[in-house]
Amino acid sequence: MVQQEAEMLDKREKIIGEDKILFEHIWKTGKGFYVTVSILGALVLLGLYAYVTQYRNGLTVTGLSRQIFWGVYITNFVFFIGISHAGTFISAVLRVLKAEWRRPISRASELTTVFILLFGVGSVLIDLGRPDRMLYAIRYAHFRSPLLWDVCSITMYLTVSSISLYLALIPDIALLRDLGGKREWFYRILSLGWTGTESQHRRLERAINFMSILVIPVMITVHTVVSFVFAMTIQPLWHSAIFGPYFVVGAIFSGVASVIVVMAVLRKAYHLENYIKPVHFNNIGIFLMAMTLLWFYFTFAEYITIVYGNEPVHMAIFWSKLTGKFAPLFWLHFILCFVVPLPILAVRRFRTIRRIVVASISIILGMWLERFVIIVPTLTKQRMAVEGAFYMPTWVEWSILAGCISLFMLLYTLFTKVFPIVPIWEIREGREKAVRMVSERIESYLPETDVAPQ
Amino acid sequence: MEFDRRGFLKIAGLTVLGLAAKPGWELFSKVEPQELVPSPETLAKKRWAMSVDLKKCWSVKGCRDCIDACHRIHNVPDLGTLKEEIKWVWTAPYENVFPEHELEYSEEDYRHQPVPLLCNHCDDPPCVRYCPTRATWKREDGIVMMDFHRCIGCRYCMAGCPYGSRSFNWRDPRPFIKKVNLEFPTRTKGVVEKCNFCEERLSRDLLPACVEACKEKALAFGDLKDPESKVRKTLQSRNVFQRQPELGTKPKVYYVL
Amino acid sequence: MYDGKKIIPGLILFLGLVTYPFWHNAVSGKTGYIPKPKLPADKKECVEPKDYIRINHKNLLDGWKESVVRKGGTIYMASNRKRYTMSLNRTCMNCHKDKAEFCDQCHNYMGVTNKCWDCHIYPKQLEKG
Repeated sequence: MVQQEAEMLDKREKIIGEDKILFEHIWKTGKGFYVTVSILGALVLLGLYAYVTQYRNGLTVTGLSRQIFWGVYITNFVFFIGISHAGTFISAVLRVLKAEWRRPISRASELTTVFILLFGVGSVLIDLGRPDRMLYAIRYAHFRSPLLWDVCSITMYLTVSSISLYLALIPDIALLRDLGGKREWFYRILSLGWTGTESQHRRLERAINFMSILVIPVMITVHTVVSFVFAMTIQPLWHSAIFGPYFVVGAIFSGVASVIVVMAVLRKAYHLENYIKPVHFNNIGIFLMAMTLLWFYFTFAEYITIVYGNEPVHMAIFWSKLTGKFAPLFWLHFILCFVVPLPILAVRRFRTIRRIVVASISIILGMWLERFVIIVPTLTKQRMAVEGAFYMPTWVEWSILAGCISLFMLLYTLFTKVFPIVPIWEIREGREKAVRMVSERIESYLPETDVAPQ
Repeated sequence: MEFDRRGFLKIAGLTVLGLAAKPGWELFSKVEPQELVPSPETLAKKRWAMSVDLKKCWSVKGCRDCIDACHRIHNVPDLGTLKEEIKWVWTAPYENVFPEHELEYSEEDYRHQPVPLLCNHCDDPPCVRYCPTRATWKREDGIVMMDFHRCIGCRYCMAGCPYGSRSFNWRDPRPFIKKVNLEFPTRTKGVVEKCNFCEERLSRDLLPACVEACKEKALAFGDLKDPESKVRKTLQSRNVFQRQPELGTKPKVYYVL
Repeated sequence: MYDGKKIIPGLILFLGLVTYPFWHNAVSGKTGYIPKPKLPADKKECVEPKDYIRINHKNLLDGWKESVVRKGGTIYMASNRKRYTMSLNRTCMNCHKDKAEFCDQCHNYMGVTNKCWDCHIYPKQLEKG
């Protein structure tokens, strides 16, 4: 009996190897976990209570009106779908570009995508006047409507991202299965018989590569189609061709910022300093800076064409954003999205982890405001503003926003209790094979030499 | 057979029997129950439109006859706040309805005169394009219809309408209806509604309620395809314009000054 | 049986709870209940024969809804050749005046819910206030 136990322990030691910390967040549950779950749970219950109030009384409990009938919920929808672009970018695009530094953060970002998409869809359903009829959009689908294009593309995106997440999870599930214990049956079912042979790895590699390449055009389609909800109308300042790429850029921008925050939180909470290193934040910070500049470019292009055209209908709304009713929100969002992050991210000395996280939080808040400032001013219909439109979101809308974010964080936290958040097999693959593969690749770029290598 | 009177009577009897077989069979058999609907071609023979004679409308100050008639027979609730109001017909000052009409140096000052507004039942309605469930659609006779059974309350049609013709039920409307009209249903919370050109009255050969209620006869309604119709007659006169024609929606409510 | 003293009573209790819907009615003496919708006094004939309409009125009304709202129809030619206006209020409720005394009698018994009355108002509803 003792020998069997010793063999078991030996096997466990071999599986865990030097990556013990990557397993620990599954086994150890500290006080912080319970406190976090309690606070998040309370906020989720608040959001639930707010929604039940809305379901029973109708959308009158929101601040929406006949003039401004889309507000916080639609902002949430665009915002959450925007954040979902992070995962695809970091796990799929970086994989296709063969950027090896993506390894420790690919699952954390992929998970952000999958979970936040649920809340993107959820925000639209929360906004419906008759949610009991939500399936009519499928039963009586009218494909000429951009909302239906949304349904199709977001469903496709959710499917492809979930499959990607699961595929990349399989070898780690197999590791957890081999470790035995109480949950072994659970991991055994999910690991689909993975044994880690060469041929299995090759097949997995092919599948993940296929999914990664497939998800990139889907990702671009998704937020373009979300922007088409606005761009396809003939409302002033919505009917703009730039909305497609503008929203995609904004999505990647806010998404990468979110992933940075997620990375930093996980790193602190689960002591992953050895795996998620300053170089990861540095690289992603540089990319975020590029996105900041790109976002600024699109915003500038959009507004300068409006100003230069000087059409009264458009200018009425333009001035309400720059100097009028919405000026505080507009300038706040500009400061948060551009003025604050750019110096932090551009100057290498400032690109510390803490400062990058600050820049990211600023971007996340700024981008929520950006969506709000795109949606609401146009609805004030300045060209026929007889009735003095005014929109003040109520406690119901804020509670539901808080509830959605909290539920997302809660689901995320619960996921990390069951599966490792840093892909162990990818780290090991990196350790064992990537160094050699990368130097071979670099050598192949350089000219052939007659002299034999030293 | 010898063709005498008897023979003639026999053949005549057989003929009558043969001829009576089919109608007799039909008379005494049960038919398949059928909902009789007009074919699209029948509907398309008409194109309903309305014209508003502004001078006649302005001859009575503070008149709300058309609005009250419409809202009364359609159980439109009076919610009393700008936030939640539901209106199928309403008025707005001229300078806001037609901002493109330069009125800086015009002799008559009708900038603040109220213009009756309603759904324009456009020929190329943007709202119909955006509905994800086809709860709103354009009928062959030109009326942009609303199906309250199918509306999911996403309010995309409201975002699509450049004229602001649509209202949403933010709460249960029933407590706010002054006097319920049994002939027409109420709506529930969570659906969008708008003027329907009184299609339930048109199917009974009645004029829309607003047209009937206007004492000054400022509203003319009829079939654009019929050159003798009232609406066509008014379009031959004076200044005729529409709301925002440059948007290409081809509205069917004309304003005559 | 190991732990038989706990298992067998538990099993009996479980079976009793699970079959509750079946024996409750028999025990409470309500199996004999037949819903009695109040029929209109003056009219003897509905749009369709009683047996057909008792089973098919939902489909009939759905068809009417499709025709009236989405196709612009108004007349229904019944199997007895009579023509009726397709309207829940003007035709059906014109005779069966009170939803509570007619429709609900069977619907409540069968546990049927419908949302028709969220919008459509029956004549007696106004009198009740």
